[in-house]
Amino acid sequence: MIIDTQLASFFTAAALIVLGIYGAVFMDNLIKKVIGLAFIGDGVNLFIITLGYKPGGIVYIYLPELAEMGKAFFTQNAAYPLPFALVLTSIVIGASTMAVMLGIIIVLYKKHGTISAAKVLDE
Amino acid sequence: MNPLIPIMVILPITCALLLNLLHNKDKTVKILALIAGVALPLIPLLANYGMHYFGGYAPLIDNPTLAQGLPSTITNSSLYLFHPAITYSFASAQQLFIFVLGMVAFLAIFTSLNETKRASGVYTFLMFMGTAAVTAIVLADDIFNLYVFFEIAALTQVGIIICSKVENNYETALKYMILGSIAAPMLLLGIALLLGVTGNVNITDIIFAINHGMVDPQSPVLLLACGLILFGWLYGSGLPPFHTIKSAVYSKALPHGAALLQAFSVFTFAALGVIIIRIFAYLPFTETVVIFFSLAAMILGITMALMQTDFKRIIGFLAVGELGYIGLGLGMGTALGITAGLFQAVNEAIITAFLFIGFGTVLYKTGISDTNKLGGMLVENPKVAILVLLAGLAMAGVPPFNAFQSKLQLIQASINAGLPELGIIMVLLSIVTFLTFVKAYYTIYLKPKPQDLQIINEKIPRATIITMMVFLVICLVLGLFPQLATDSLQQLAVGLV
Repeated sequence: MIIDTQLASFFTAAALIVLGIYGAVFMDNLIKKVIGLAFIGDGVNLFIITLGYKPGGIVYIYLPELAEMGKAFFTQNAAYPLPFALVLTSIVIGASTMAVMLGIIIVLYKKHGTISAAKVLDE
Repeated sequence: MNPLIPIMVILPITCALLLNLLHNKDKTVKILALIAGVALPLIPLLANYGMHYFGGYAPLIDNPTLAQGLPSTITNSSLYLFHPAITYSFASAQQLFIFVLGMVAFLAIFTSLNETKRASGVYTFLMFMGTAAVTAIVLADDIFNLYVFFEIAALTQVGIIICSKVENNYETALKYMILGSIAAPMLLLGIALLLGVTGNVNITDIIFAINHGMVDPQSPVLLLACGLILFGWLYGSGLPPFHTIKSAVYSKALPHGAALLQAFSVFTFAALGVIIIRIFAYLPFTETVVIFFSLAAMILGITMALMQTDFKRIIGFLAVGELGYIGLGLGMGTALGITAGLFQAVNEAIITAFLFIGFGTVLYKTGISDTNKLGGMLVENPKVAILVLLAGLAMAGVPPFNAFQSKLQLIQASINAGLPELGIIMVLLSIVTFLTFVKAYYTIYLKPKPQDLQIINEKIPRATIITMMVFLVICLVLGLFPQLATDSLQQLAVGLV
């Protein structure tokens, strides 16, 4: 059975979030924790993108070539643009947060000589 | 449209970026920071109330020129009323919040510039950036915009801890970021679910959609969204289960930094709490959940404060406990309760900043924050000791200070709402708060001075004492004339009910 694209995308997003939470909570290696956290953010981003998905939809930019088809055609068939704009911002925030976390991990590695969360964070 | 509304956010951001560029140019950093700092509380006083639509895109109903020629599918639907752009809403409550935040930010920056030999452009940058982010959180009528600034505020808080160069600050910063990197996506997921159900991220439009039957209010997706946004709220404000990390964050910052960080938490808590009540008040469990977590914060925060020996941790936990009072006010769901809760938010931001800076003078003089190693500071600095004592009395809710008025109103609201047991708990916890403060005060100021205690800075900077005096005056003014604050907050509270 072929699963609907949107449904498959929602499941993938959920899987990413669950895997991410697992990694962030149970992994001892700080880098793996950060990868898990990135998975959570990516899962949420994928979820938001999927909200804007429209089966058979067209790109939400009103190109001159679309003028002959009329505004009504565009409004009925264009994908919902808001989620894509939001995800763009969310990706930037996620990248900044991850950069800061990795920077802190570098400092902590130099200080403790390890990236084991149990050793670094529980002291 | 009032251009001063976005200026409240743009000015601190611009100033922050300039200060970062000017790092190492001490004199320029000081002058620029002080000028911009003075402007922070002044702009909200000068701005007119109203809405600001970014890009000038007002709802079509307010913009007939743009509406001309649009298909009837748009003009005859709710799209005609919806907000197409990011919107900032500025009314009397926002004015008061931003004024108080600006005052705390200015005084914290003023103190930091005078206590440090070399002004750090990066540290001041973070203070301004955080202030801009929390101002935007208070103003935002767009829940995604709120999320963006929520993240910026979290990053600046981490930056402030790192710049403080306190022992083990990197470890605390990383822990806070790891928890934040779980909580913030959950908040975003909640926002995404709201977007999925209502097709909108504007808070007013979301409420319109729910209230006008455009979506099923009892939809499980909305319930899940409510839960996820509540989770983000708990993290942002430091309510349980995040109370321990939040108080650790305060303790790893310098006193002026901690004074500002707690103000960020208080206003984020109040702003997000108001949004949760605005959107989800119709759900039977929302107010109960808010009360539950607020009570947990009060009990855990205040009792854990009693067990601490580091005075920065003591104030940190007390700050978390005091947040619970705000939450109780919001959770009561009555106009008086919400007004009293928001008034408590204003008071807490001022009093906790006062306490951090007051006790911070001990750290400045001795370099020690462990109360077991301190003592005899009353003799060393009687003027500051009296000011700290007054700050402690204010926090405990002793008249004629401001927290007395807000806590009294909260107790009255709890009786009016048919929840007198909440009033009893508030009174009991206020007593415990007072005991905690007295214990810390005794060990630091009244106990004989340990022989090995060394004074590293003889004189407290005059700026620090001026800052404390200003806080004291604000506490007294709001205590004697509470209507100055409550009149501003009442309109928002009545609107929520």
